[in-house]
Amino acid sequence: MFEQPASPSLVSRSWGFRLRLPFNVALVLPAQLIILAVALAPAVIVVWLALTDWQPTDAIPWYQAETVWFWNFYDLWYDERFVNAVLRTFFVVGVCVAVELVLALGLALLFLEDWRWKKIAVSVIILPMMIIPVDAANAFFMLFNEHGPINHLVSLALGHPFEFSWLSHPTWAMVPIMLCEIWQWTPLMFLLVLTGLIALPQNQIRAAVMLGASPPRIFFKLVLPLLLPVLGVAVLIRCIETFKIFDPVYMLTRGQPGGATETISMYMYNGAFVYFRMGYIAAAALIVLILVVATCLGLAKSVQQHG
Amino acid sequence: MADGLVTRRQSRWVVILKRVTVVIAMLISFFPIFWLISTAFKPFDEWASWPPVWVSGHPTLQNFRIVFFPEAAREFAAAEKGSLDYKVSGSAWKAFGDSALIASLATAFSISFGTLAAYSIARFATGGPNFPFQFLTVRMMPPIAVVVPIVALFAVLRLSDTYFGMILAYTAFTLPFSIWMIRSFIEEIPSELEGVAMVHGASRAKAFLTVTLPLVRGGVLATALFVFILNWSEFLFALVLTSGRILTVTLQVANYVSASSGKLYGVQAAMGTVSTIPVIVFGYLIQKHLVRGLTFGAVKR
Repeated sequence: MFEQPASPSLVSRSWGFRLRLPFNVALVLPAQLIILAVALAPAVIVVWLALTDWQPTDAIPWYQAETVWFWNFYDLWYDERFVNAVLRTFFVVGVCVAVELVLALGLALLFLEDWRWKKIAVSVIILPMMIIPVDAANAFFMLFNEHGPINHLVSLALGHPFEFSWLSHPTWAMVPIMLCEIWQWTPLMFLLVLTGLIALPQNQIRAAVMLGASPPRIFFKLVLPLLLPVLGVAVLIRCIETFKIFDPVYMLTRGQPGGATETISMYMYNGAFVYFRMGYIAAAALIVLILVVATCLGLAKSVQQHG
Repeated sequence: MADGLVTRRQSRWVVILKRVTVVIAMLISFFPIFWLISTAFKPFDEWASWPPVWVSGHPTLQNFRIVFFPEAAREFAAAEKGSLDYKVSGSAWKAFGDSALIASLATAFSISFGTLAAYSIARFATGGPNFPFQFLTVRMMPPIAVVVPIVALFAVLRLSDTYFGMILAYTAFTLPFSIWMIRSFIEEIPSELEGVAMVHGASRAKAFLTVTLPLVRGGVLATALFVFILNWSEFLFALVLTSGRILTVTLQVANYVSASSGKLYGVQAAMGTVSTIPVIVFGYLIQKHLVRGLTFGAVKR
C-alpha cells in the first residue's frame, strides 16, 4: 500500500480522462470504500428488507421479496418478546455499567499509593479483559452449572446440598450473564479510572489536604468533579459495548428459557437465524439502528458540552 | 501519583484492610480462569460430578488430545460415551489455521488502510472535523443489526462462507479502531519534522514514510496487535457468515456441544485455554496501550 506516487496527486487514466485526486483524499479512499461496502450498503439493504417479509427459506432472492410495507413495524410494536428484549437490554446496560463504575472507582482508589506487589496486582486484576469473551462466557457456564463451584460454595455455606440450576430459571438466568459481563469489563473501567486519577492535578488536592479537608470530602467535592470527563468517556463506551451484548447470552442460555434472557442482539439472532424471519428482523434492526444513532448523537453532544 | 488523596497518617489496620480487598479482587478476577484451566485437565467423570472436583487428582491430557487429534475423539467416544457427532470430531487445527489466516490478513488490511486514512485526517483534516466520526458509528452499531443485511448482500455477491468475505467484514469493523488509534499516535508527532524533510526536497509521501512512520512504528504495532486480538476473539460474524467451510477458534469453542453426549466440558475448556493464550500474550504486550485502544484514542497514558 505504500507505493503512492511521489507527486502530490494521484493520476488515473482508466476512465479515458484524467482524474486528479488530491493526495489526502486518495489516502482515505480505501478505508472509505470498505466502510461504504460493508456498513453503508447494508444500511440501504436493511431499509428494503424491513419493508418485506423475506425469509431465506422461501427460495426467492431477497431483492424480489414481497413488500408488506409497514406491517413489520406494526407487528413489532405488539411483539411482547421484542419489547421485553429491548427493555431487558436497557436494564442490563444500566445495572452492568453502574456496578462496573462503582467497583472500578473503589478499586482504583486502592492503587494510588505505591506498594510492593502493585504491578503484579494490576496485571492479575486486568486478566479478565484479556481473554476471549466466548471463553469467559464458557467459564461462567461451568461456574453456574447445577454441579458447578458456585452451588458448591453455597452448599458449604448453607450446610446442606444446594443444586439450583441458575441457567434454566426465567429470572435468575440473567444473573450469571450480567456477572460475566461485569467480571470481564470492570477491569477496563478500572484501568480508565486509574489513568484518570493518576493524571489529576496534584496541587489542588494537596492544598485541600493541607487545609484539613477529610478524605471523603476531598473525594466527592474535588476528585470526582475533576474525574468526570474520564468517567464520562468510560461510561459512554461501556454503555455502547454492553448494549451489543451477545457472546455471554449465546454461550450461557441462547435466550432461553422461553426468551426470558433475550437481549436485543439475542432476540434478533434467534429471529433471523433460528426462525429465519429476515424481513421482520430487518425491521427490528432498523429500529435499533435509529435508536443507537440517536442516543449516540445525544450522548456525544452532552459529553462535548460538559467535557 | 495522586498521593494527596492518601493521608499519610494511615493506621496499620486500614492498610491491611486495603491489601486484603485487593487480594479478594485478584481472587475473583482469577477464579473463572482457574476453573477453565482446571477443567481442561479433568478426566471425563469429573467434568460435572457432584460435589465438583476443584483440582483433579488424576490430571489428564485427554481433553487436549481430543481437541487436536480427531482420532482420539473417536476412541474416546467408543470407550466412554456412545457416539460423538461429526462437528466434535473435527480437528481444532483447522480452526486455528482459519483464525490465524483471517485475523492476520484482516489486521494487515485494517492497519494499512487505517494508517493512510489516519495520516490524512491527522495532517490535512480531510473531510472536516466530523469526518472521523462516521467511522465510529460503524463501531457503535450492534453487529447483529448490520449482519442481517450483510448476509443478504454476501448471498448475492457469493461471499458468504468465504475467506474473502470474512476478511472484508473483519477489516471494515476494525477500521474505526485502526484509524482513531493511529491518528492519536500521529498527532503526537510534530508536523514540523515532515516540513524539515520537505524543505530538503522530500515529497509528502516520502516525508511520511521516512520521518513520521518510523516514529509511530511502536504505536502502529500496538494497534496491529490490538486489532488482531479483536479479530481473533470475534464470534458473532463468524457464527453468521460461515456455514461449515470456514471454522474459527471461537466457533470451535462453541461447537463442543454434541447432540448425543451434551456439553463436552473438559474438551471445551481445553480448547478455550489454548485458544485464549495468544490473546493474553498479545494483551500484556500492549498493556499500556489497551486503554487508548478500547477508548478509540480518547484516553491516553
